[in-house]
Amino acid sequence: MTTPHAIDVSGLTKQFGKMTAVDGVTFSVEPGEVFGFMGHNGAGKTTTLRMLLGLTPITSGTARVLGREVGRETLEIRRVAGYLPANYTLPPDMTARQFLHYVGAMFALPRGVVTERAEALLQRFDLVRDADRALRGFSTGMMQKVGLAQALINEPRVLLLDEPTSGLDPLGRHELLELLRALARDQGVTVVFSSHILSDVEALCRRVAVLHRARLVAFGDVDHLKAQHGVRTMDDLYLALVRKEAA
Amino acid sequence: MIRLQWLDYLATLRERKTWLCGAMLLYAVLSIPVILARPPAHVKDAITTWFGDDRPFVLFMYVWIDLAMNKVIAFLPVVLASGIVLRERDLGVLPILAAKPLSMPRYFTLRAISACAVMATLHVGAQLIGLVYFTARVPGFQPATFLAAMTPHLFAAIFATGFSAAIAGWVKHRGASALIGLTVLGLLLGMSLVGFYQPAWRSITLVNPMSLGALALGSLDHLGPAELAPPMFALTLLSIAAIAIGAAGVRRMEA
Repeated sequence: MTTPHAIDVSGLTKQFGKMTAVDGVTFSVEPGEVFGFMGHNGAGKTTTLRMLLGLTPITSGTARVLGREVGRETLEIRRVAGYLPANYTLPPDMTARQFLHYVGAMFALPRGVVTERAEALLQRFDLVRDADRALRGFSTGMMQKVGLAQALINEPRVLLLDEPTSGLDPLGRHELLELLRALARDQGVTVVFSSHILSDVEALCRRVAVLHRARLVAFGDVDHLKAQHGVRTMDDLYLALVRKEAA
Repeated sequence: MIRLQWLDYLATLRERKTWLCGAMLLYAVLSIPVILARPPAHVKDAITTWFGDDRPFVLFMYVWIDLAMNKVIAFLPVVLASGIVLRERDLGVLPILAAKPLSMPRYFTLRAISACAVMATLHVGAQLIGLVYFTARVPGFQPATFLAAMTPHLFAAIFATGFSAAIAGWVKHRGASALIGLTVLGLLLGMSLVGFYQPAWRSITLVNPMSLGALALGSLDHLGPAELAPPMFALTLLSIAAIAIGAAGVRRMEA
């Protein structure tokens, strides 16, 4: 018997009017893996992630997350998923602690559980000192930490992260990558790590999907893809894939 | 859900715009006795004709409802509710919140109820502060009648907030939503007392929800459940309907 995929995407397409943002994309993500989702800005990564959470309606194709069908069981998917968008703001009048409690309440978690998790996350992201300060005064890096903390408040089984390292300093970036590795290794969390920073993807992911101009141009094991294209680094692999597509 | 509603209410209460609204209400409370100190003779005569009563308390109630609180509920509900969900979308908060297990109509309903609750808090707060202040400053002030007369008005304020939220749910642009809300509520409130000026039109003005909020003005001497309950019940139903209509409007909205 084969293990069911944590995420199963088949022929996923999204059209905005005449513009195709995602064009027949097919890939799957295994449970407990950190999966790289690569592509330059505008390649369709964000739209794909948004479709997986039902934030953007699917034009055609199907997608399943932990066996649940996107569209029909969207709220169930959101219940077990954590999401950090690429572009977002946090409520300016709330404090970090208030915001985590608010998000915890959106999952209908008991108050005691939310308090416990919020404190642990504030500690993990080194936010305890600023936890009761309004979010309007937070720096980009601190905002990103609160954004990550809110994505983890429900102890998700699937974590969809869209450009999560942007805005983080080198130390914060290193800590985040360590955290994601630990989440996948110790708690079996499936992580989809969407980024155009190839070194981050290379450092974290064994398997990747590469999007280019709305289409999937590669999917599979990084080492296998490198060997297949006769390159040694992720940068070279990406360039090889894009040039091949352009030719 | 109750915990989330409570946290959302507290969050709305802490917003800067709420404090601005509170300051406006406080100004209204403090300024009315000053305005009432020397009312123009023609205004006094007109009010005596409309309500058949020349007591200073009747003049005060007319000024408090028409000059202060009706203006307040034309403006404050728009400030509190015309940007519901739209503000979160425009600021960029919505992509995070919409990814939680709460559908967009439910999130809208949550935010609209919070806005209504904050409006109610501000309204009740203003009446309570007014109760203390007016007792000392307004000759012939009747505290119990004042509170009873303002109760339907509270429900009108809640309806106005739900109505502003409903406009936001369908218009989906903050500026346009505020402008439409302000215009429509301004018109409804501008016509809310026409039934007192023109008794022949009394029954037709009752289709105006804002007239229901000021209905107690016509029966200040004998306010009881029979006078107060029907407008409150009607305004409650209208508020629920407004929020439900608004929630339907955001069904297909993208974060």
